[in-house]
Amino acid sequence: MLRIPCPHCGARDEAEFAYRGDATVTRPGPDGDIAAFHDYLYARTNPRGWQVEWWQHSAGCRAFLKVLRHTVTHEVRAVANAAETLEVPPA
Amino acid sequence: MSAPEPTHPLAAHAAPGRHGAAGEAPLRVTLPPRDIVQVMARRGRADALAEAARASFGLDLPHAGHAATGKDATAIWIQPGHWLLTAPRGVEGALAARAAAAFAGLAAVADQSHGRITIAIAGPAAHSVLARGCRLDLHPRAFGPGRAAATQIAHVGCLIHQTDAAPVFELTVFATLAEPFFHWLMEAGAGAGVLIE
Repeated sequence: MLRIPCPHCGARDEAEFAYRGDATVTRPGPDGDIAAFHDYLYARTNPRGWQVEWWQHSAGCRAFLKVLRHTVTHEVRAVANAAETLEVPPA
Repeated sequence: MSAPEPTHPLAAHAAPGRHGAAGEAPLRVTLPPRDIVQVMARRGRADALAEAARASFGLDLPHAGHAATGKDATAIWIQPGHWLLTAPRGVEGALAARAAAAFAGLAAVADQSHGRITIAIAGPAAHSVLARGCRLDLHPRAFGPGRAAATQIAHVGCLIHQTDAAPVFELTVFATLAEPFFHWLMEAGAGAGVLIE
């Protein structure tokens, strides 16, 4: 079970959050072709190591957050608001 | 024809009296009728909104995890830029109309008086009863009067507001989920006994 330090509410149980996947994918522009949209929707790197992810504090302050989580150890190293950028450290 | 008096969703479930064990310090439960208005700040108008709240309701809009009480209303932080403004039940829609006038151009205002209800619990058993369904640390070293938290209790979204160190907690839940939530509260409090006032 993760404890995620929400920047608004403080540390909260993972069960209060909704996982929304990889936060580094960017939507193609309106002129993007079908392959670009396919990759945007389905292609994920599934890294073994650090990943920036969307977690929405759906049962708390409802904010969309970026969480830097290690996919093996589950360590949460940083949490930021949606408009901020989190750097992925080298594995 | 005037609007009908709103029916309390727990009217058939919260008969006054003792429930559960016959302990000496039961959980005291009341259902304070409240007007509840959600206030959502418009982008970039937070400072002007705070000033308007001070002028109209005599309170400083609280920051995250807190509540503030003014001369006749209480504001509870629920999410960034959003507060619940509550006051004892008055004329239908009056609090929302007053807030809409005070915050015109500064915030969106939505009347939640029929959508959410408040259950107040008090007494020394309150902490142990809440601990049966709430993940938060409500110990006095971590929480206290004037603090508030949006979380889940027994899988139901719940806004916790501690109003007194006695302790007294006010639990605000969606009216449609009040019945299962109240059932959980009765079960969780059965060991200590519950006194519905």
